Amino acid sequence: MSPLPQVLLDGLFTGGTYALMAAGMALILGVVKVINLSHGAFFTLGAYVAYALAERGVGHPIAAALLAAAIAFAFGVFVGKSFVNPVRSHPFALPVGTLACALLFEEAAQMVWGPHPLSIETGAPWIGPGGLVIRRWGVVAFLSSAALLAGLKGLLVARPGLPLRLIAEDEEIAGSLGMDVEAIRYLTFGGACAMAAAAGALLSTSGAVTPTMGRAPLILSLVVVIVAGMDSVGAIFLLSVALGIFGNGCAYFLSPQWAYVALLAGVSLLLAARPAGIVAIAGRRD
Amino acid sequence: MNVRFTTFLRPPLVLIGSAFIFLSFFLCVSLHDPALAVSHPDTLKIGVLAPLSGPYAAGGTSFVQAATLAVEQANAEGGVFGRRVAITVADTQGRVDVAKAEALRLVSREKVTALVGAYLSEETVAVMEVAAAQRTVLLVPVAATAEITDKVRQEYPRYRYVFRVGYSIPQWAELIAAFLSDRKIGRYGFVGAGIRWNRELGETLERIVAPRGIAPAYTAFYSPANPAFDPVTVAVAAASLDIVVLGDPGRNSVSFLKRLREVAPGLPVLSVGGALGDARLASSIPLSAPVYVQAASWKGVSPAATAYFERYENRYGAPPVGYSDTLPYDAVTVLVAAWRKAGSADSAAVVPVLEGGAFPGVAGTYRFDTAHQARWGTGPGALRGTFVRWERDGARIVFPPR
Repeated sequence: MSPLPQVLLDGLFTGGTYALMAAGMALILGVVKVINLSHGAFFTLGAYVAYALAERGVGHPIAAALLAAAIAFAFGVFVGKSFVNPVRSHPFALPVGTLACALLFEEAAQMVWGPHPLSIETGAPWIGPGGLVIRRWGVVAFLSSAALLAGLKGLLVARPGLPLRLIAEDEEIAGSLGMDVEAIRYLTFGGACAMAAAAGALLSTSGAVTPTMGRAPLILSLVVVIVAGMDSVGAIFLLSVALGIFGNGCAYFLSPQWAYVALLAGVSLLLAARPAGIVAIAGRRD
Repeated sequence: MNVRFTTFLRPPLVLIGSAFIFLSFFLCVSLHDPALAVSHPDTLKIGVLAPLSGPYAAGGTSFVQAATLAVEQANAEGGVFGRRVAITVADTQGRVDVAKAEALRLVSREKVTALVGAYLSEETVAVMEVAAAQRTVLLVPVAATAEITDKVRQEYPRYRYVFRVGYSIPQWAELIAAFLSDRKIGRYGFVGAGIRWNRELGETLERIVAPRGIAPAYTAFYSPANPAFDPVTVAVAAASLDIVVLGDPGRNSVSFLKRLREVAPGLPVLSVGGALGDARLASSIPLSAPVYVQAASWKGVSPAATAYFERYENRYGAPPVGYSDTLPYDAVTVLVAAWRKAGSADSAAVVPVLEGGAFPGVAGTYRFDTAHQARWGTGPGALRGTFVRWERDGARIVFPPR
């Protein structure tokens, strides 16, 4: 069998992992309007929660994702309320502060679990038609990212999502209508952190669990959200999948070492052509 | 710009919390880490350079743990001419500039007598400059690049203080070649992180195995920052290989193995050492086909190795990986033995002793050649290294034949 279908399928799954991380990042950037450099740390937290549960015999990814999301939500609300909201008006303080949070978490994880890589047993993949290998974690990433982004889209168009939309559009008007803008902001921050942790838990079986494992997903999720533009959840998903397939294709046909470079070069070109994101709505941004 | 004074009076809670956690961490480390412990004026200090933070922290931590054990062993044997031995640790963070600055600090401010480190080849080459300028003995445990011994050979008067305990790239390749021959391998794949020593190892291995009728059928290096594992595993699976040589001592080796086993469950893998030597991972890595790990030594190879492995496990709760810990342990052991033989810790006295002596360690007896490279390989009197195969209940030594 030609390896091309396998490369494309794996690219689809890789794109699913990007989208899974980008979902939470889109929420933070779109509503709270801050660059959260601790997003990767919550991803790592989720993976360690999954590992801790697996060690105790609870290997179900959904259970791990739910517990990780709950812990990350609580922690995210704390960070959002005590740090993000007070310093939000200082544009340089926030990225530095959230980066400090991420590094602090890495150190804490190293102290608790050690610096060595940990691993959770991966289930055997499914074999599809023509011997196509369907990686379990890939299916989980693809489906859960689609579900998360669809849920996010549904929330934003439905009535309960009105405060989020309004705050994203104009905080002053939202405040003048009696909305508790501060509370909605830190709850949204917590929700986004929960999504990152759930992503970490769901993807924990695909590789090694280490204190610094959230760094690469952080960069890629930022890239996806900024390039897609925060206005379109669908575009985030499609761009993630496109980048996954593009990166895997480059690695297979060009060179594995150049895949990341090619991916970032492609992203830079897209940004140069559409600085406000590929699906930015005309007139909505300056 | 408006800056309200009250902002400064109400610092965010998270910062206070962070500061508290950091302070607690620092105090804990200060009280337990021998590196930061107050030493007596007559203590002989060894500066240990290893990455304790960042992506290489796992290897760096076991590096320091093993060095600590070696120093404790030396002190239990009465120290060196009645003086206690201590280590002073510097975190290189895996960065060349930090490694060089820390080496200078250790020698000039901490007044260490000798250096052991660093971890990465790039770091170690930078530290060599400090050792040469300060005329301080430097023992290199794990960095494998040829540049280290090339410099000693080419500029002996300047770099004569530098000795490599670990295997060089050609020696490493020779050991792997002997293993591949023993397993009757014809076609192998070489895959790993796209870093300097790894490329050197891949190229050297190809050259060394060619006369034995062994050839690489696939070679790929992935980006360590965001490795594209899946396409590489697909290519490996399609290449009809007998074995994959995995040149990655870090966490990515674990991820690669898991992804590879999804598409090629029956393909054997040889790790050149590092993370896959960690017994804690053995229960979760897929063992549908052999997973071999190369190590400097392993429990059961010799009484000294068994004693070291048991002492390490008792002390740190997990067995060593046999590479990034064993070689630093032996580096400190060799240094202490050289001090004792020389009757002095002065570099001028220690260098000739290291050049001409034989020093027992966990991996065997160390002797240095004219480029100050420990003799590893398959020849008589050389250190042989070990290859183990993971089973569900632990590792089994498979090569060299015992």
